[in-house]
Amino acid sequence: MSADPRDTSELREQIALNQQAIDRLNRDLARKSDEIQIIQQISSEITSTLDLDEVLGIVLRAMDTVLGFAHSMILLKDLGDDILRVAATRGYVDQAAGAQVRLGEGVIGVVGERRRMMRIGNIGASMRYLRSVRARMEAAGEVAPAEAPAAALPGLADVQSQLALPLTVKDRLVGVLAVESQTPNAFDELDEILLRIVGNQAATAIDNARTYQMVEQLGRLKRFFSPQLADLIIRGGADDPLKTHRREVTVVFLDLRGFTAFAETSEPEELMGVLHEYHAEMGRLILAHEGTLERFTGDGMMIFFNDPLPMPDAAERAVRMAVTMRDRAAELSVRWRRKGYELDLGIGIAKGFATIGAIGFEGRWDYGAIGTVTNLAARLCGEAKPGQILISPRVLLEVEHLLEVEELGLLTVKGLARPVRPLNVVRLRDPV
Amino acid sequence: MIPDRVVEVLHGPSYIQLGSRDDALRPAHTMAVGALVHDDRRTVTVFVPAARSERVLRDLAGNGRVAVGVALASHEAYQLKGTYVSSRPTDDADRVRQEAYRAALLQSALEAGYPDALARPFCLGFAYTPGVAITFRAEEVFLQTPGPGAGSLLA
Amino acid sequence: MQGVIPSHVVTCSHDGTPNASAISQVYYVDPDHVALSHQFFNKTKRNIEENPRAVVWVVNPETFESWDLELEFVRSETSGSVFEVMEMQIEAIASMVGMKGIFKLRAADIFRVISAAKAVGERIPPAEIPAPR
Repeated sequence: MSADPRDTSELREQIALNQQAIDRLNRDLARKSDEIQIIQQISSEITSTLDLDEVLGIVLRAMDTVLGFAHSMILLKDLGDDILRVAATRGYVDQAAGAQVRLGEGVIGVVGERRRMMRIGNIGASMRYLRSVRARMEAAGEVAPAEAPAAALPGLADVQSQLALPLTVKDRLVGVLAVESQTPNAFDELDEILLRIVGNQAATAIDNARTYQMVEQLGRLKRFFSPQLADLIIRGGADDPLKTHRREVTVVFLDLRGFTAFAETSEPEELMGVLHEYHAEMGRLILAHEGTLERFTGDGMMIFFNDPLPMPDAAERAVRMAVTMRDRAAELSVRWRRKGYELDLGIGIAKGFATIGAIGFEGRWDYGAIGTVTNLAARLCGEAKPGQILISPRVLLEVEHLLEVEELGLLTVKGLARPVRPLNVVRLRDPV
Repeated sequence: MIPDRVVEVLHGPSYIQLGSRDDALRPAHTMAVGALVHDDRRTVTVFVPAARSERVLRDLAGNGRVAVGVALASHEAYQLKGTYVSSRPTDDADRVRQEAYRAALLQSALEAGYPDALARPFCLGFAYTPGVAITFRAEEVFLQTPGPGAGSLLA
Repeated sequence: MQGVIPSHVVTCSHDGTPNASAISQVYYVDPDHVALSHQFFNKTKRNIEENPRAVVWVVNPETFESWDLELEFVRSETSGSVFEVMEMQIEAIASMVGMKGIFKLRAADIFRVISAAKAVGERIPPAEIPAPR
């Protein structure tokens, strides 16, 4: 009874293969239970803090030390737009902070758009293939030559494998968690499972931390701005407006002629009554035109446009607001005159660069703007006779087509080398 | 009849595959290492490893229908369809040609951007000896490069 | 089967003519099924609609072993999980080479795996290949 040598060797090979498979399964199982334990630990770490940076750091550290993903990043999506911004990275030499990806662009962008995990292990080969197809389509005139390459996607050069997971809370996309490698086929199904577990925890924790951050910021901003404006700023995801910055703004100064005399001779209730009425009317118009009220000192107000919300039509808004204010104040003046008060509005408008940020001290902050432009606007206001709106030539440049103006000669202003030729706004050419 | 460019590509270095089918229309496949276009520019010989030749030779003896695909690492590719003529074991001259072919194949893969760790074992890993030289007469030549015109008849 | 090294597919038309071409990627669906991406209208697709049998040659990019997969065409999908996975990958790469919207997956062709066998005698094991001099 001699066994066929070929049968025996095949059998041995099969046994060896089976053993390999069993070993692999055991390793996977051990890996899985180890990692699940650690993930449970991570999840309690993540959910115990509301600090966004801390949450992001914990997640990415876990990606590396527990799951062995050396290169990872988290991108977050703002409420208002379709852009994913890099919020934290680990394992990159150049931190790529602020780098962004549009929904639908690259692996991360497609994952964000489709709200579905993606694993890809042959990026290099796939791109070579599609590039050669593209080249032939270009040569055949079927497609236009490639435009200048779009901004490079954040991540490794020569990346071969990527695994990206959408972070969602109740169907809302919070962001994307992505890991990558320069080795082809670096990630497998088990990696998908583990990433999903961590990702789900992370999504909720990140969302909570962000909401907390937004609420905090909203609270701070509301002390300076109207609720609507504060809300707009939060949604826009823009830089913190309270950080000092320079911006070209259009500044409007207004005050009441005859107010000082009135304040001295009137009863407290009368005074407050007038101020109340005046502030309410003017305030309503400031909100309607989305201006930023910098301060009011009794009857004087300073409003500026183009900060913290950028506006291409800042000068136009300022002038329209001023004209409407003049009309409204004229109505108020009529009423006040009947009571014996002589109060008329004067307005000055100028445009230029100002330094803007939080001014004051702990417990008493104001959102202030400082620059020659504020001096000029104040001076123009001071020069304005009752019912006049004096604008600087620079403002006129932008709104000339909207207005009928009259020239007023030269005016010297402290801080300006040359005198200014202010214009008085007689009326708008078309109805407001 | 076979266009110049296709002759050039067949003479290497390129990835050559041979397809056949049996009586029940079930397809079969084998890789080939090296090809030779005869002077009539119609007859072609490809060299397949002997260990892979049994099935395709059976098919070819049965119905004679053969398809040979040839592709470069840059994805430029062609396909020839035709009728089987004959086969014989490869000889020393064939082997010399095949060795040069394999070396050139590796070089072209590296130039196309494949890393050495991948290209070397892949390109030099094609078994070629003992081999069988399979000769066929090409009847149609198609462009197979992915993109515009893929599938069009060239000759 | 992740498309690092291109694969080959041989099909056969109704009138008995074989067709040999290269494909960029074979997608794993489950232990008994694979999918091929259908992007350009081509002879391979026409053949499997006439005659569902195909053989696919793939190379494992880690071991460099090559395999023959005997396949039978089951159906073409234009929606569902398999299609979406393939579509997303193509979309991502297309956007990275400036082909967003131009290069799209038309269908995922699902095949049942009848047999999978190592292509014995086709490869020289990497260990036996001489190292670069």
